[in-house]
Amino acid sequence: MTPKKILLAKTGVDGHWRGVSLVARALRDAGFEVILTGMAKPEEIVSSAVDEDVDLVGLSVGGHIDVVNRILVMLEEDCPDTNVFIGGAIPPWAAKELRAKGFEVFTPGSKLEDIVHSAKRLTA
Amino acid sequence: MSDHDPVWTSSSGIPLESFYTSNEGSNAARPGEAPYTRGAYPGMYRTKPWRIFQLSGYGSPEQEGERIRFLLEHGETGFIMEHDRNTADHMYNVDHDEVIARKEDVGLTGAVIQSIRDYETVLDGIEIEKTYGHPGGGVVQHGPFALGCYWSVAKRRGLSLKELPGTGQSDYFLTYHACVTKQQVPTRAGLRFNADIIEFCTENMPHWVPVSIAGYNGAETGLNSYQEIAAVMANATEYLDEIQRRDRVSLVAAARGVAGVSFRISMDLFEDAAKLRAARKMWHDLIARRYGIDNKKAQILRIHSLTAGSAMTYQQPINNIVRGTIMALAGVLGGTQSMGVSGYDEAISIPSEHAHQTNLRIQQILQEESNLCAVADPLGGSYYVESLTSSLEEKAWEFYEQIQNQGGFLESLDSGWLHARAHENQMAEQMSIDRGIKAKVGVNVFEEDVCSFEIDGFRSGSSEWENAKARLDNLFETRTEHLAKSSLSDLESACRGDTNIMPAVMAAVDADVSLGEIGEVWRKVYGNWNTPISL
Repeated sequence: MTPKKILLAKTGVDGHWRGVSLVARALRDAGFEVILTGMAKPEEIVSSAVDEDVDLVGLSVGGHIDVVNRILVMLEEDCPDTNVFIGGAIPPWAAKELRAKGFEVFTPGSKLEDIVHSAKRLTA
Repeated sequence: MSDHDPVWTSSSGIPLESFYTSNEGSNAARPGEAPYTRGAYPGMYRTKPWRIFQLSGYGSPEQEGERIRFLLEHGETGFIMEHDRNTADHMYNVDHDEVIARKEDVGLTGAVIQSIRDYETVLDGIEIEKTYGHPGGGVVQHGPFALGCYWSVAKRRGLSLKELPGTGQSDYFLTYHACVTKQQVPTRAGLRFNADIIEFCTENMPHWVPVSIAGYNGAETGLNSYQEIAAVMANATEYLDEIQRRDRVSLVAAARGVAGVSFRISMDLFEDAAKLRAARKMWHDLIARRYGIDNKKAQILRIHSLTAGSAMTYQQPINNIVRGTIMALAGVLGGTQSMGVSGYDEAISIPSEHAHQTNLRIQQILQEESNLCAVADPLGGSYYVESLTSSLEEKAWEFYEQIQNQGGFLESLDSGWLHARAHENQMAEQMSIDRGIKAKVGVNVFEEDVCSFEIDGFRSGSSEWENAKARLDNLFETRTEHLAKSSLSDLESACRGDTNIMPAVMAAVDADVSLGEIGEVWRKVYGNWNTPISL
């Protein structure tokens, strides 16, 4: 069986790599193919998701939630069938908004195995 | 691990006895005496309490100035300017396409400061001749611009650079190890900048710390206590070897300039206190042995401590006030010269004004109410702490040798070797928290919370990009264009030659050359660092 593909993208140019690299490693260990976009621009993140035909997009948030919302709108337009999950130091009010829209959100303190379970569920 | 015989270790993995009896590591020298394990100065906090030194700033230059004045009025004894990272770290103006792509992020992490005029706005009403200032420039490629602007503001005010107190940073750990920027100069170009800054300060600015190695950032990325000390020493070795090779200024004076560093203080109270003691001893030995410098001021390591942002939890954030206090106490017990405490809302957002105030109050309670300033090195002679201090020193020298065997500190960054060491620890730490081996209150134990309110996180507006763009347009419209252009070409010549770049940087910013234009010179002359990690 070909492994499911996950695109992990940082939404800002803040290069804290600790979180995203741990998540990438945990997902690879669980058998996923993980593509990292570096600090791509929002448009580039969306076009990578389309070009690579990924099964799931993970947004690593470092910055303003409005950038995330903008990316989510573009993803919905360009690859409406691809699921998205979101992680990072997202303030409670913003996490609440994202969850209300139906996204799974992983804030600091989340377990890697919960993130992996979520990835399995969202790509099943 | 069996339940009957749990293994107790320090946070860096040093095995711990259940109690200590011998005093092998004990050092009879007094505080203020070589090798300075017991403290940098004889009187320590009786003579001078540690400096309360907090990060501050967001939004516009006006807002940042307001926040700094707020902290100074509330008892802070120095200030650190925070810059918008999208622009400052990358040396981009706001009209750069990388910044335009994420306009909403602009101003979130600090003020957008693109010119000397923005510096003048932030510093308006602050007596910089009397206040210990950190003008930003935490990032290596941003250092020359930040210092150039601050010093030029001082000159415009008629102040003498000889009297100006403050510190630069230009730290490698920040963007070459911890939080890697998308685009920055190669590490060797950074060494040129930093050595120029060290030389400039050595010759002209006796009260200015030219660069400050921030072990903090390496530790936050995952380096453990002894790896952090070792990496700081290896970084200093690169600077001092370069100054020695150039042979233009006194190595003794330069060593004194490089001797102001920062360390992370985290939640292992005794190991973190012992770390500062071990670091002072190692610095003394490095300076005395490797460089043969027999000068007290050069042999004394001056330490700025920062409490670990990563120790702060998203859950039950009020508990972080306790964590901040414990960590700050470790810094004081270790004999820090200055300290910044991370906000209780650190994991949630950039600090609110209330979190800033609380950070100050934690330090003030320690300084004013707890009788901690009375006696130097209160842990000195403790069997346990002396043993930890020796173990850390021994392990740190081993790790230092490993870095040297990699070809030195810069090479260990270029190859990704130092990142790999951090990553191993990151994974181990995450696993031990996920599996409940390492307790984190509110995260993996005692998760119930009866508190009826939650901290929502600081909300910033998102019009900073527009404001900054308007200031930039105004700068370009109102500056004397030919002076700006000729000073830029002078700067490029200085970069291509081997004279000190700082006079050319100061002339350029004084001629209203902007942040992004100086960044363009860097990119043209030096190109980009090849990032060794994928993210």
